[in-house]
Amino acid sequence: MKKTRMFTFAGRVLKNLFKKPATTQYPFEPAQYPERMRGHIRIEIENCISCGLCMRSCPSQAIRVDRKAGTWTIERFDCVQCGFCVAACPKKCLFMEKGYTEPDILKKSETFTKPKEEKKEAAATAGGKPAVDTEKCVYCTLCAKKCPQEALHVDRKEKIWELDEEKCVECGICAGACPKKAIELKG
Amino acid sequence: MAKRSIVPFGPQHPVLPEPVHLDLVLEDETVVQAVPSIGYIHRGLEKLVEKRDFKQYTYIAERICGICSCGHGLGYCMAVEKVMGIEVPERANYLRAIWVEMSRIHSHLLWLGLLADAMGFESLFMESWRLREKILDMFDETAGGRIIHSVNQVGGVQKDMDASMLNHLLEAVNDIESDIKPVVNTFLQDYTVQSRLKGAGVLKKEDAVTLGAVGPMLRASGVEYDVRMLGYGAYKDLTVEPITSTDGDCYGRCEVRLKELFQSFDLIREAVGKIPSGDINVPVKGNPSGEYFMRIEQPRGEAIYYVKGNGTKYLDRFRLRTPTTSNIPPMVEILKGCQLADVPILILTIDPCVSCTER
Repeated sequence: MKKTRMFTFAGRVLKNLFKKPATTQYPFEPAQYPERMRGHIRIEIENCISCGLCMRSCPSQAIRVDRKAGTWTIERFDCVQCGFCVAACPKKCLFMEKGYTEPDILKKSETFTKPKEEKKEAAATAGGKPAVDTEKCVYCTLCAKKCPQEALHVDRKEKIWELDEEKCVECGICAGACPKKAIELKG
Repeated sequence: MAKRSIVPFGPQHPVLPEPVHLDLVLEDETVVQAVPSIGYIHRGLEKLVEKRDFKQYTYIAERICGICSCGHGLGYCMAVEKVMGIEVPERANYLRAIWVEMSRIHSHLLWLGLLADAMGFESLFMESWRLREKILDMFDETAGGRIIHSVNQVGGVQKDMDASMLNHLLEAVNDIESDIKPVVNTFLQDYTVQSRLKGAGVLKKEDAVTLGAVGPMLRASGVEYDVRMLGYGAYKDLTVEPITSTDGDCYGRCEVRLKELFQSFDLIREAVGKIPSGDINVPVKGNPSGEYFMRIEQPRGEAIYYVKGNGTKYLDRFRLRTPTTSNIPPMVEILKGCQLADVPILILTIDPCVSCTER
């Protein structure tokens, strides 16, 4: 059982002498990131409707959304790259990108502001609480199923269509989902 | 009787990866008593469950500890799923099992490196961590993060692995298995390593049971107990035999972990071979109401997750009993009577994870 083993790693030593290092010589060599890497969050601010779902979903409270000013702010140092905001975004304007943000000596945040000229266009797709046209509505419940906030309550038998105004974030997904175009967004 | 003296050990000590403090009562060079104290890294993560909704908390559960992150996310999600009565798709169960086995490989390789480092065997330490790098790269490719994977969610998993990823994974596992042989031989047969490990810190079978040891610590004392045998998730279809050793010393614990590496390689191969196609998650409606105890086998041993929901999106209580918590009493027991120079090795062989313990 007891035996002295010598030069066990001699082979490895020789290999290491003639092979490239096992690690990448970053930053002299650019790092290769895999496709799925969770590096940082990117926003396409022009599509953002400031619904605030990302802010509410963020476990580390790194995102701030100001609806009135039309800004979206992320604390890069607080973000833990979990990707929950990306999954929560109803407009799919948040993306998890590969590659890290630059290091810094101070905590810094990045603010994105919605371009003003596009504000009107965004208001056309979203910008107000949904209201239903009861004549057109067939109570199919599709709007309630699609609602990211579960703010709609639709009952087919009782012919009820109710909106919880507190939960509603005015994302306009219900209006887009309605097969009968019975939902209008009113500001 | 020799004069007694007290030597403080930790919380900052070169051999300790994480802060735990021990007061070692010495008689000459022999330890007669060890008094552990923790509390240097408490972050109040259990309390945070009241402030974050139950889906968000998955990400916090993962961040309780870096090394056991995959298992913590899984244990928490499974407990919430049981409360809500959610049936997870089979493919998700298999993917979870694959990721958890990968994290077992990475945790054990990390531990082997730390053990080698504690003995002053630098090249063995480097070699273990070089191998670990391959598994971390696979985590990066499949989950998007090397340490924190964020793959589990209540209702299934977030990401799927396609055929090319599974093939890459198998290649990586085969590579590690062929490269690891000199490492295994050195740990198990080298005279120098044996002189440090053999006969050090013997934990008898009855002591291991009475003091509540878990995981490799328990199995190294000859108790056949592995929570994976309960058949949670995909383990009901996979072959899990508890790996035991009869020595109960540091060498036995090292042997159990080395053999568990090979068991994990086999489990990954088996799971990749059997993985069914289909959905990877189910939609979750409503909020959890009720309570559940979930037990899973983490790399360090049995972890218990307790959740209590009250029908709102905020849980009332989340409690985690980590393997290291249960392994501290046996550690104090094995420290009695050892030499001061052996203390670092004895502490390391329980594979302490203080971040988990204190949360």
